[in-house]
Amino acid sequence: MTQERASEEKPYRRLETQALLQQIAFRHGLEAMEASENGSLAWVTSGFPVEIPIAMNLGVVYPEQAGAIIGAQKIGPAVSGYAEDLGYSQELCSYARVSIGSTEKPDEVPMGSLPTPQILLAGNNICGTVLKWYDAISEMTGAPVFLLDTPPIEKQQLPHNQEYVRHGVERLIEFIGSNFNRTLEEDRLREVAELSSRATKLWIRALEACKNKPSPLNCADRFLTMAPVVSSRGTEHCVEFYESLVAEVEERAKQGIGAIRDEKIRLLWDNIPPWHTLRFFNILASRGVVFPADTYTHAWTGNMVGTDTPSIIDEVVETYSKVYLNMGLDAKVDKMCQLIDDYDLDGFVMFSVRSCKRYSLGQLVSKEIVTERTGVPGVIIEGDMVDSRVYNAAQIETRVDALLEMLM
Amino acid sequence: MNYEGVIEQSSVGLKELVESGEEIIGYIYPHVPLELFMAHGFTPSLVRALPGTSSGFEESLQTFACSYIRNLYSQRANGQLLPLAGLLFPGNTCDALQNLGDIWRVRFPDDRVFRLTYPVTRYSQDESTTKFLAEELRILSETIANTFNRPFLTESYDRAIELVQDFHASAQFLYSARVVNPKIIPYSEVVRLIRTFLTAPTISSVSNIKDTAARVRVTSEDLGLVDMIETVRLAITSGDYSGVKLPEDLETPRVVIAGGMVEPQAIATLINDIPDISDSAIVLDLLSFGFKTAFTEAPSKSSDPYLAMAQSVLTAPGEPTHEGLSYRMKAMKDLLSNLSIQGLMVCEQSFCDPDQFEAPSIERAASELGVKTVRVPLDPELSDRGRIETRIQTFLDTLE
Ligand code: SF4
Ligand code: SF4
Repeated sequence: MTQERASEEKPYRRLETQALLQQIAFRHGLEAMEASENGSLAWVTSGFPVEIPIAMNLGVVYPEQAGAIIGAQKIGPAVSGYAEDLGYSQELCSYARVSIGSTEKPDEVPMGSLPTPQILLAGNNICGTVLKWYDAISEMTGAPVFLLDTPPIEKQQLPHNQEYVRHGVERLIEFIGSNFNRTLEEDRLREVAELSSRATKLWIRALEACKNKPSPLNCADRFLTMAPVVSSRGTEHCVEFYESLVAEVEERAKQGIGAIRDEKIRLLWDNIPPWHTLRFFNILASRGVVFPADTYTHAWTGNMVGTDTPSIIDEVVETYSKVYLNMGLDAKVDKMCQLIDDYDLDGFVMFSVRSCKRYSLGQLVSKEIVTERTGVPGVIIEGDMVDSRVYNAAQIETRVDALLEMLM
Repeated sequence: MNYEGVIEQSSVGLKELVESGEEIIGYIYPHVPLELFMAHGFTPSLVRALPGTSSGFEESLQTFACSYIRNLYSQRANGQLLPLAGLLFPGNTCDALQNLGDIWRVRFPDDRVFRLTYPVTRYSQDESTTKFLAEELRILSETIANTFNRPFLTESYDRAIELVQDFHASAQFLYSARVVNPKIIPYSEVVRLIRTFLTAPTISSVSNIKDTAARVRVTSEDLGLVDMIETVRLAITSGDYSGVKLPEDLETPRVVIAGGMVEPQAIATLINDIPDISDSAIVLDLLSFGFKTAFTEAPSKSSDPYLAMAQSVLTAPGEPTHEGLSYRMKAMKDLLSNLSIQGLMVCEQSFCDPDQFEAPSIERAASELGVKTVRVPLDPELSDRGRIETRIQTFLDTLE
C-alpha cells in the first residue's frame, strides 16, 4: 500500500485519508468565512446539538477545534498571552484563553482565529466553562449567547430534567429564528440528523475497527480524523469523508496492517491530547506502544436517529443530555473499563489537563477504581492540551516509562 | 482577634447544637432553601473553607482544583468537619463542585451525600427554570424524608419561613444602613452576624442579628437616616435606583467588594489589620456568602412549598455560575454609579473559573464608570497575606 511506501522508515503508518482532511478543513474554513460575511455564522461548543443551527442554515465553527489548531502550531502560549493581557488568568481553560486571545488579535493568528460570529451557541453538557468563555466572546464581538442548559444527570435522566432541556431546545429554535428571521423545517432537521447519524455511525465503525490486533489506528490518527464528526456533522461531505476512512481502516484490519509497525503494548488514552506534542504518540510507537482507544474521541459517538423517542426534538434532548461527560464520575469510569475490556488493553494513561477541571478533577480517584475493576495498571501525567508552558516532557517520560516497565 | 479566632468564634453556636444532639445537614453552595431542611427537623449549616487547612486533599484532588474545594476536602480528610447527618452538594454550578460531589461519594462512602441540581438559565422567560428547581427540591425533600424517616412538616416549614425572613429583613437593613453610613456598624460585625446565622440558623442567632438591626435602626432614627436606608434597600431589591437618596457629606473612600465564594470575614479582617484603615471604607460587598445571601427574598406562603422555595432561591442576585453576564454587569454598574462608589476590589480564589472569568468583565465595567479596581487573589488560607494587605493599602491610598 502507498502509505507504507511513503513512511517506510517511521514506526507508524500514515493514513491516506488524512489528505482528504485538509480538503475538508479548507472547505469548512471557506464556508465559515462566507457565512460570517453573510451574517449567519454560529460559534458552537463541541457537545452542542449542531443539527439545529445547520438545519436552520447557519454556518458553524467550533472554537475548541481552533484551539487544537493553535495548540498544534505551538503558538498556544503566545496567543493565550493576548487573553492574559486582557486580564484572563493563566489558570483558565486554554481553549478559552486562545479563543479570546485570537479574537483580540486575529491578525496575529492567521491559522486558528475564527471568522466573526453572529451568534454564540453554548452547551454545558461538556463543562460549565463554555458559558463563561462564550460570554467573554460575546462582550468582545457583540454576538448574542444562547446557553442550552443540560443539567448533569446521574444514572438516568428524570422527567423534569428532560422537560427542562426540551424547553431549552425549543427556546434555542426560537432564539435562532428571531435573530435570523427564519424557521426550522422539521423535514430539513430530519435530513440533517440523518446525515449526522450516518457520519457518526461510520465514525463508530472506524473506532471499533481498532479492536483488531494490530490496531489500524493510533491515538493521533483518531484525534486528527475526528475533526469532521465534530465540525461538519450533518453534511454530505462529512459522510463521504468517513466512508473513505472506514474503507481504509477496515482494509488495514483485513490485511493485518497496524497503525504502528510493531505493536507490543495496547494502552487506553484518557482525556484531550497534548496538541502541541502529538509526537508523544509517535515516540511511544517506536517502542511498540499503540493506543487503540481513548475516552476523548469516543465521546462523539452519540447517535440521534434510531432511538425510540417520539420526536426529533426528543431525540436531541436525549442524545445531548446523555453525553457521558454529563453523567459524572461513574459514567467515566464505566466508559474506561468498557474500553479496556472491549479493546483488550494492557494499561492506561490519564492526561491530567490543568485547563479542564470538569474532565480532570476526579482522575486520581478513577485511576484507582479502573485498576481495581480491570486489573490493568495506569499512570497519570499532567500538562495542558494547548498551553505547553505547563507540559513537563521529562517528568512525563519518567512516569510513562514506569508504566511500560510494568508491562514489558 | 486573628482570622482563625474570628472564624472559630462563629462556629461556637454550631458546636453547642451538635453537643445538644441536634442533627445537622451541611450544605456548600449558598443558595439553598434553609426552610426545606428545617421543615424536616434538621438544622442546615453552611460548610465553609477554614483557614489553616492547607493539606489533606492530595490523594484525591490535583493542585489545580480551586483552593475552596481543596480546603473542604482537606477538612473532611483531616477529620475537622463536625458530625453531619448529611451533606448537600450543588449540581450544575461550577465544575469544581460538581466533581467534588462525585469524589466525595467515592472517598467517604459512609457520608450521606445529597445533590441539588440548579438551572443555569435565568432569563428563559418561561416557567421551565422554576419548575425544574421546584422538582429538584421536591425530590430532595422526599429523599430526606425516606432516608431519615422525617417527613416534611408544614408547621415547621411555616416557622422556618418566619425565622429566615427575620434574618433577611435584618441583614438587608444592616447592609442598606451601611451604604448610607458605613460607620453606623462595622462591616466585620455585619458579616459576623451573617456567618453565625448561616452556620447555625437558630432562634438565638436570628435574635442576635435582629437585636443589632433594631439598635442600628434607633441610631439611624436619631441621625434621620431611616428613610434614606429604606430607599437604598428598595433600590437594591428592585434594581431601580431612581428613588435613592444618600447624605451629601459621604465620607470617602467608598469601596465595594466583588467576588464569589470569598469569605467576607476574611476581607474584613484583612482591612481592619491594615494600620490607619478601618472597614468603614467598605460600603458593600457583592459576595455569595454576604450580599447575595442577604438579598434573597423569602418564599411566599403558597400551597406548593417547593415552587415557593424555588422562586425564592431564584431571586438571589445572579452568580457567575449562571447565565447573564451582561445583566450582572448592568446591575453592578447601576449599583456602583448610584451608590457613589469610587473603588472596587475584585477578589478571586485561585483556580476558580467563575471568579477568574468574570473578573476582567468587572474591571472593564467599572472602568467605564471611572471606578478604580484592584484584583485581590484570596484563598481561604490567606496565603501571601502581607502582599495582599500592601496591595489593598496601596489601592485605598489611590482613592484618597
Ligand atoms: S474546560 Fe474542558 S470541556 Fe470545557 S471547554 Fe475547556 S477543555 Fe473543553
Ligand atoms: S465557585 Fe469557584 S471557589 Fe467556589 S467551588 Fe467553584 S471554583 Fe471553587
